[in-house]
Formats: sequence, structure tokens, C-alpha cells
Amino acid sequence: MSNLWFLYLFFSALLIFTGIYCLLTMRNLIKLFIAVEVISKGVSLVIIATGAVKNSILLAQSLAITYIVVEVSLVATALALIINIYKKNKSLDVRSLSKLKG
Amino acid sequence: MIIQIILLSGLVLFSILAILLKDLLKSALSLAVASLFLGIIFFRLGAPYAGVFEISVVAGLITVLFALTVALTRKDSEVQEARLTRLVFPLFFVIFLIIDGLVMKSLLQQVPALPTGPETGSFGEVLWKARTFDLVAQLGVILAGVLAVLALFRKKEEDKDE
Repeated sequence: MSNLWFLYLFFSALLIFTGIYCLLTMRNLIKLFIAVEVISKGVSLVIIATGAVKNSILLAQSLAITYIVVEVSLVATALALIINIYKKNKSLDVRSLSKLKG
Repeated sequence: MIIQIILLSGLVLFSILAILLKDLLKSALSLAVASLFLGIIFFRLGAPYAGVFEISVVAGLITVLFALTVALTRKDSEVQEARLTRLVFPLFFVIFLIIDGLVMKSLLQQVPALPTGPETGSFGEVLWKARTFDLVAQLGVILAGVLAVLALFRKKEEDKDE
């Protein structure tokens, strides 16, 4: 069972690394948000895999569902923000945000 | 074990594609396929409710939201990424892969075992009785999200009136 846990945590670490790399290097706002989504996939994989290995799958499921609901709310708000930023700046470049005043 | 490795590899592969593809719509679709893989993994781990949520909400709803945003921001939205970003990624990825493989197993052995026995009851009992506070918080989060979206778009309408 420990090998199985290792396998899932190994792959979820890869997902989280990929997301963080994108967050640090990319400039497109939508791409940055896709990176946040990738990181959240890694985290939900950790929650469910740990629950399955530790015989607490029911609790892990309820936590994962809570997490998914929070994720959807975050996505809706952030994408609305991105659309507003695009309408104002005519660009999705994250560097254009530095031109904001106060 | 082999099926699990294939599913996990598919999940990582499509997540990487979502990040490295230049076309944003293709990125959003790759993210949806990655969610599909994750949903299947949840089913195989014995978490069918989380799997259903992952496939219907994340692979379905969030992909639609991303596609809508891409469609609304398509004109003149080309962002010049640094050239090195895509070229250097495989190198960093392989380095992290090696470190991950070497370090993760020893890290797992240091995690203390939780003093819990096997769970009893059904998923409904755990969700509605044990995690009642979480459900209240979820309602708050959903309301906050709805109000935030409404507030963001209302502001734009006021700008138009002016």
C-alpha cells in the first residue's frame, strides 16, 4: 500500500511542479489561471489518494467535494476579473497590470 | 498497477500540454481531458462521488467557462511569452522528476501514522453529519462567488451609462 501511496504522491508532485513552473514563467493571464487549475488537480489527487491509502476515503471524498466547490467559485470570479482586465487594457499580458495607478 | 500508471501519466501529460500549447482553446480542452483522467482515477480509488464532481464540474463547467473567456478575449490578445520558457521546461521537469523519485519515498516514511480505524457508515452520513460545518462554508463560498461575479459585471454597466 505504501508503494501505491508513493506512486500517487510522486505524480501529484509532478503536477504541482508543472503548475508552479507555469506560474513563475508565463505572462498570459488565462495561462496563469490554467496553471492554478493544474496545481489544484495535484492537491485533490493527494487528498483522495491519502484517504484511500489510510482507509478514510469517505472523509477524503467530502473534503475533495468541498475543494471542488471552492475551485469553481474561484474560477468564476477570476475569469470575470480577467474579462474586465482585458476590456480595460486590451491585453492579457500580466505585465500590463503594472501600469495600474493606485 | 499498470493501468494506474497509464492513467496518472495521461493526467500529467495532458496537464503539461495545457500549459505548453500556444492556442488557449486547445489548452482548455487539454485541461478538460486531464480532469477526465483524474475523475477515472478517483473512481478507481473508490471515490465515485468525487469522480462524478470532478468530471461534471471541473471537466464540464470550468472548461465551458475557460472557452467562454477565450472567445471573449480573442482579438488582439496574443501575449509574447519568453522563448526560453518552453525550451527549458523539459530540462527542469527531468531534474524535478529525479529529485521527486529520490526524495519522496524517504519523506513518506517520516509522515506519522494517524490513529484512526476504518470508517463506518455511508458517504451521506459522513458528508451531512460529520462535515456539516464544511457544507455551511461551501454555501458561503458559492454566495461569495456569485456576488463577486455580479459586482464585477455591474461595474462595467455603470461605466457604459456614463
